[in-house]
Amino acid sequence: MEGLSGGIERLGATGGGPDFAALLRKQGLYPAIGAAAAGISKIEETHATTILAFKFADGVLMAGDRRATAGNTVVYDRADKVLEIDRHSLMAIAGVPATAWEMARVLEHSFQFYRRTQLQEMSLDGKVRALSKLLRDNFGFVMQGVGIVVPIFATYDTAAPGARLYFYDAMGAQFEAADYAVSGSGSPAVRSILYYANTWGDRPLKEISRDEAVILALRALDTAAETDTATGGVDRRGRVYPVVKIVSGDGIATLDEEELSARFKKEVK
Amino acid sequence: MTEEPYRWVEAISNRREYIEHQLAEGSPIVALSYKDGVLFLTLSRERQKIFEIYDRIAMGAIGHPGDIERLRMAAIEVASTEGFTRSAQDVSLRRLATFSLSPALKAAFEQIYGPPYLARMLFAELGREGEGNLFTRLDYDGTMHTSGGPHLKTFEDYGVLAGTAPQAAAMEKHLAGGLTHAQADLDAALRMALDVWTVGHLTREEGPPPAPEAIAAAKKEQLAGAVVEAAVLEKTAKIGAAYRPLAQAEVERALGAEG
Repeated sequence: MEGLSGGIERLGATGGGPDFAALLRKQGLYPAIGAAAAGISKIEETHATTILAFKFADGVLMAGDRRATAGNTVVYDRADKVLEIDRHSLMAIAGVPATAWEMARVLEHSFQFYRRTQLQEMSLDGKVRALSKLLRDNFGFVMQGVGIVVPIFATYDTAAPGARLYFYDAMGAQFEAADYAVSGSGSPAVRSILYYANTWGDRPLKEISRDEAVILALRALDTAAETDTATGGVDRRGRVYPVVKIVSGDGIATLDEEELSARFKKEVK
Repeated sequence: MTEEPYRWVEAISNRREYIEHQLAEGSPIVALSYKDGVLFLTLSRERQKIFEIYDRIAMGAIGHPGDIERLRMAAIEVASTEGFTRSAQDVSLRRLATFSLSPALKAAFEQIYGPPYLARMLFAELGREGEGNLFTRLDYDGTMHTSGGPHLKTFEDYGVLAGTAPQAAAMEKHLAGGLTHAQADLDAALRMALDVWTVGHLTREEGPPPAPEAIAAAKKEQLAGAVVEAAVLEKTAKIGAAYRPLAQAEVERALGAEG
């Protein structure tokens, strides 16, 4: 392991601090990017698009399409944009995967590092804020035209039982969503659908069942893919379906391919 | 003074005697394989002694709380940094113990103008698919006793830690005497581990093992005044982190079932 032969002076390197990002910075391992060249970047970045999350009767459902694009090119059609951060937290990413996946890694390790060193779970507010700090750290880059990430964070508060949902802007401002949150290029369509369902549907989203929630999410993503080329649809032959995860008091559940395939056949198209 | 080799040896030997004396009263710690992973158990009165280090590594320690903290923190930092920069698969107990902790402990112990670490640690690593679990005891002077051979074959599916050598020997003897913990469920493993702890607790000097009645009586007496602290590394964990401290109710139910 890195620098271990350094031995004794390495022991207790941070004096027991709970901040994993600080430890990485100290060791020069923080995934931040050095000073980029002046001016605005013209490179075609890889982007990931259309994620959504809403509260329903059991907790929060979070879903995302699978496409990653760079300009007009489809780079990848099996990208996973809904990431598990810990037992009760999910992060969905829209924007540049290179930055977003690294953020998710830092976040995941930060929560675990905090729990292991401090012998207690990080508070929910602490977790929400940690993502905000990572976005802020990245903002210099965003200003130069690369590496923008606009995530959604969903978690189940086990202390004051209930689902909590947050969305962010690229500068790191955090907003708590009452009912739903969306992000990515296909999100205007999805946002309208969720608004409509929540306001004019039979019942508000908070009261719908798991079945209804899953169908709504799949139909919303399908609608986004209809007009937004950067959002991937369903490839039944290649068995590529959106990623759908649910976080509730029991933890995180991922919908398996079998269920998704059956749902698409029966309820979507 | 210490330029003379003889003085240095004498200083080291004094230091060893002092540390051994300090550690002698520590409550034993048992770690053993059971059906679904690894179980750690000890009895504690005031402070926590079993800790999570990384996804598949846990640690139990006796000694000075300040030193245990420094070593625990160092182990977590080293493992987390490696897990982050490479992958969780690259974090291994063998590397953690032999390349980082052992040399640091030895250096601190032998630099006689600086303070040594007053701590003795027991680590366990949950084996990956098809591998055995690994148990490693690490002492204040950097010496290591591990259940794993040089080719990652494991010989013992348990590890113990105690204040004195006779205690540890008695516990190991009890474990080697045909206990079926490796196939046992968690409840049965908890009861066996508590027996092993009691054997260690009762042993003062080398001699015949304590009688079953003596173990039962001592167990009852100790449970009245201390709390069983137990944690598991579970093969069945759904996410990467396999560590789970056992709730008091869970432990009491298992131990109560003995009647």
